[in-house]
Amino acid sequence: MDPSRLTIAQASAAIAQGSLAPLSLVDSYLERIASLDGELHSYVLVLAEEARERARALAAEPSRGPLHGIPLSLKDIYWTRGRRTTAGSRLCLDFVPAEDAETWRRLEAAGAILLGKNETHEFAIGGPDFTLPFPPARNPWNTAHYPAGSSSGSAVAVAAGLTAGALGSDTGGSIRGPAAFNGIAGLKPTYGRVSRRGVFPLSYTLDHCGPLTRTVEDCALLLQAIAGHDPLDPASADRPVPDYRKALERRLDGMAIGVIRHFHEADAVAGFGPENAPNPAYCAAFEEACRTLEKAGARLVDLRLSPLLDYADANRLIMLAEAFALHETDFQERPQGFGRYAFARIGLGAFFSAADYVEALRARRELCREFREATEGVDAVVSANATAPAPKIDTVPLWGVFERASYTAPYNLLGAPALSLPIGFEDGLPLAFQIAGKPFAESSVFKVGYAFEQATPFHRERPPIAASLPGRT
Amino acid sequence: MAEPIPPDRFTVLVERAGLKLTPEEFEELREGSRFVERMKESVRRSGPREARLRGVTRPREKTAEPAHIFIAGKD
Repeated sequence: MDPSRLTIAQASAAIAQGSLAPLSLVDSYLERIASLDGELHSYVLVLAEEARERARALAAEPSRGPLHGIPLSLKDIYWTRGRRTTAGSRLCLDFVPAEDAETWRRLEAAGAILLGKNETHEFAIGGPDFTLPFPPARNPWNTAHYPAGSSSGSAVAVAAGLTAGALGSDTGGSIRGPAAFNGIAGLKPTYGRVSRRGVFPLSYTLDHCGPLTRTVEDCALLLQAIAGHDPLDPASADRPVPDYRKALERRLDGMAIGVIRHFHEADAVAGFGPENAPNPAYCAAFEEACRTLEKAGARLVDLRLSPLLDYADANRLIMLAEAFALHETDFQERPQGFGRYAFARIGLGAFFSAADYVEALRARRELCREFREATEGVDAVVSANATAPAPKIDTVPLWGVFERASYTAPYNLLGAPALSLPIGFEDGLPLAFQIAGKPFAESSVFKVGYAFEQATPFHRERPPIAASLPGRT
Repeated sequence: MAEPIPPDRFTVLVERAGLKLTPEEFEELREGSRFVERMKESVRRSGPREARLRGVTRPREKTAEPAHIFIAGKD
């Protein structure tokens, strides 16, 4: 058996039964990292000996729960006590945090093992930038292609079988974009559901921390461990955390799901230009995914919201204004420390006025109200993710992040949970859609996602590079 | 699509932000300023979807509050 092929849930069961030792699981991932990451660049730091030592220690302990002995990795913007955390920037090459991110503290307490830190776009926005200290991660489905960002390393590591699961961050789509291009599950939880403490900020009011995994069930397992009130994160919500795995069912009978088609069918071209027209193969895959949900028992309802551009631009304006504010001193005193992409993108935040920022916040309240009213009669929502497969990595333009229709940004603005799941392939590269919910309705999102996953084969597809290494079957 | 901010006006904005840019950085950021202009327009649009798509928007009510309101005593 190749332990790296097991989902977190499967590995957890094997460890609990005594048929798999945490050290064997750790070693299987470390072998793959050593063999494959020279090409994929998904890690900037591998903690091989620390991971083995912890695996041995955990093997001697009683089980702490479903994450006992499970190897995970973190986007390199999560603080790790005593271990360098660079945010992908030359400005932070010597930064060694004194504390762990609250999310990692919770995962470690639950028995998880830290394999290493994953490549990130600089400060979670500047990439793919070939001038940074660490090369951009490569898409495991085709290494000439872009894995999206900014949680690129985390998604690549999960998709290529170089970790069992990972944490990323998402300010405008940085978990769900990489999840889409890498063919895995990625969840942006509700704003306030998961602590952001100890994670390099990009935008205080839009940043979300969340999991990237191979399956919905694994996503639920990771969210279970990291969700919950953190009194030291001012945005953290003091609300009970349900049992997410209990929501996972194969049928959706009695559920109403809103479908937002106009984002990709009309608004992308109207707002962002004709080059944003969705691929026909994507539209067909999206419709087939909707039919799958119907066959599982859901009732589909068309939803109409404000144009996608209005959601995306409010998200971008708030993000850039907040990002520039937090990096202002470095822009003025050591601008040469930034890579080109982060400098140019964050730098745009310097050119908004206070009135622009307040107008964006007023627009945000209006759009939140609109979404709340539109979703009153439904249990979940589906909408497009990227409407074409991953482009070649050397063709991603500097301003692409603002030229391209962003299907993920609305849910950051709304603070609503959104899950990306694969719905098919085009030219051997994954396609995906999003399942979103009302704030704090992650259980409904997981329920829809799990039923979809059980009815489709896409989550079982693995990139060729993720095949077992010789000698491992 | 909005146009980049003209060079003379952009120079003022760069100085106000306290940035010292090389000529290449100045031109690169000025090129990107077309997105700044677009975003500023977008967030001022209000009203029904169909009207917005036609470019017809109504001014936001003065009483329309921003999304983040200070709550005394929370911190």
